Amino acid sequence: MTTDDGGNDAVEEAPEPPDTFEDTIWPDVNRTLTAVDVRPERSVLDLIVHIPKADVVRGLGMLKNDEALQFNYLRSLTAVDNEADGVDVVYHLYSVPNKFNLTVKTTLPNDDKVLDTATPVWQAANWLERETAEMFGVTFTGHPDPRPLLMPEDVDMSDTHPLLKSHPYAEIDILQGELLGHDRDADEGD
Amino acid sequence: MVVDAPTPSEAGDFETQDLLINVGPQHPSTHGVFRMVLEIDGEVVKDLVPYIGYLHRGAEKLCENFDFRQGIGYMDRTEYLAAHNAELSYVMAVEALAEIEVPERAQWIRMILCELNRISSHFMFLGAFGVDVGVFGTPFIYAWREREAVIDLFEEISGDRMMYAYFRPGGLAWEVPVNFEERVREVLASSRQGVKDFDGLLTENEIFIARTKNVGVISAEDAIEIGMSGPSLRASGVPLDLRKTEPYMYYDQLEFEPITAEGGDVFDRYLVRLKEISQSIDLIEQCLERLEAGPIMAEKMPRMLRLPEGEAYMRTEAPRGEYGIYMVSKGGNKPHRVKVRSACLSNLQALKQMSVGQYVADAIIILGSIDIVLSEVDR
Repeated sequence: MTTDDGGNDAVEEAPEPPDTFEDTIWPDVNRTLTAVDVRPERSVLDLIVHIPKADVVRGLGMLKNDEALQFNYLRSLTAVDNEADGVDVVYHLYSVPNKFNLTVKTTLPNDDKVLDTATPVWQAANWLERETAEMFGVTFTGHPDPRPLLMPEDVDMSDTHPLLKSHPYAEIDILQGELLGHDRDADEGD
Repeated sequence: MVVDAPTPSEAGDFETQDLLINVGPQHPSTHGVFRMVLEIDGEVVKDLVPYIGYLHRGAEKLCENFDFRQGIGYMDRTEYLAAHNAELSYVMAVEALAEIEVPERAQWIRMILCELNRISSHFMFLGAFGVDVGVFGTPFIYAWREREAVIDLFEEISGDRMMYAYFRPGGLAWEVPVNFEERVREVLASSRQGVKDFDGLLTENEIFIARTKNVGVISAEDAIEIGMSGPSLRASGVPLDLRKTEPYMYYDQLEFEPITAEGGDVFDRYLVRLKEISQSIDLIEQCLERLEAGPIMAEKMPRMLRLPEGEAYMRTEAPRGEYGIYMVSKGGNKPHRVKVRSACLSNLQALKQMSVGQYVADAIIILGSIDIVLSEVDR
């Protein structure tokens, strides 16, 4: 159960030629995103494209409006907290006419978690951005309705964001450890 | 459809004032704890503000703290009316990351159970929707009877009526009972009769049609823009069914076409679901023909799963639409991040657009026609 990419057990042969992503939709994506600094990456299912945060919404608009791609459906929008490496905002796009899938990622540094809103591109981003904002502390500038979505309105949650790794959930952990009477760390081994 | 009748403010030269009505969070017609504030002018909805989050339990955060098998139970509790489908996305995400090959028999049984769950979930919709429309009694009890037959079968298999936790990364928890095929056929026979009953009760019922036709219309373009999925999207004429467009498991070996309707109104959303029950019955029969004896668990599964680094957004067609699991692994025995893509959350975003310009009473059936499960919306 190891992945092949990364070539961790690669036999010592001639170095592999650089991946051109010719078998994916990358050539089309690269052509569409003119004047945007993009980097492709393979994953188990879909192609991932990294776009710098300054260009991400412009890039998403280009991907949606391009004739050959037409990414007109936003499946999901969320974020991943990579602690010291900042927060990744992740867009899962789908093209209904072409049946293409694409994941767009942009990395925000921890001290500047501000990003333009994608609501002008897809209306679907509205609630998903509200959720991402309250859960990860990302500010989406220009969002039409920046209220919290799932968190209670009468509690000020502006400085605590539950899905950040720094947010504690120690109480459950301690409670379960006591009730079950075992040391969680000792369970780590196979 | 914008209501033809003039609103009081348009009709007369008398002074009117818009009225705010609060519906929910504890209200029988909101299918759980959902609140919406309606701004009405006479009988017509001018604005609608939905409030969600009353059932937020932090399932995504909890999953980060548990290993890959423990997370299955939390998926049941997000989508409790179609727990098999919810588990499926989760275990398939783990399998994609770990590159586990699932044996054929396990795949076919998974498909049968997921389609059965679609039947039970759609019957639940039909019953609850009947109540929303105002035909309390007969359809509700009929639906409950059919759903009960499916749930009984699930109980025989997994030991639980709602929270099955029966799928595992790599296959199934244990073998199905010996009389599984016979029991499935029994349930199918009863469901087939149930569809006929509903067809007779509601589909051509004049009052039902008057209540639902041309109400809460949403166009295909708007539905895609809002990110709707499942029967609610297909009712607007978009043939987007993940079982067909991105076949997973063995759906590519089965013969079926996504069921669509043209109007995008409440009646079409009802009709698509009713037809999908028949479609699921047909799919299960095709699965039963191909079901053979064999192992139900992948070989050499470790006691503690450790996944390589990577990420996968695994999506499957649940009864309410696209149920997706975005799983990020940084190595180790716990996921780094699990995101549940809720079909109902995205579908619910369309509620305002569907309801503005409609009568207040229609706002309730529009909400019912989206078929929300609030614990999936809030997670």
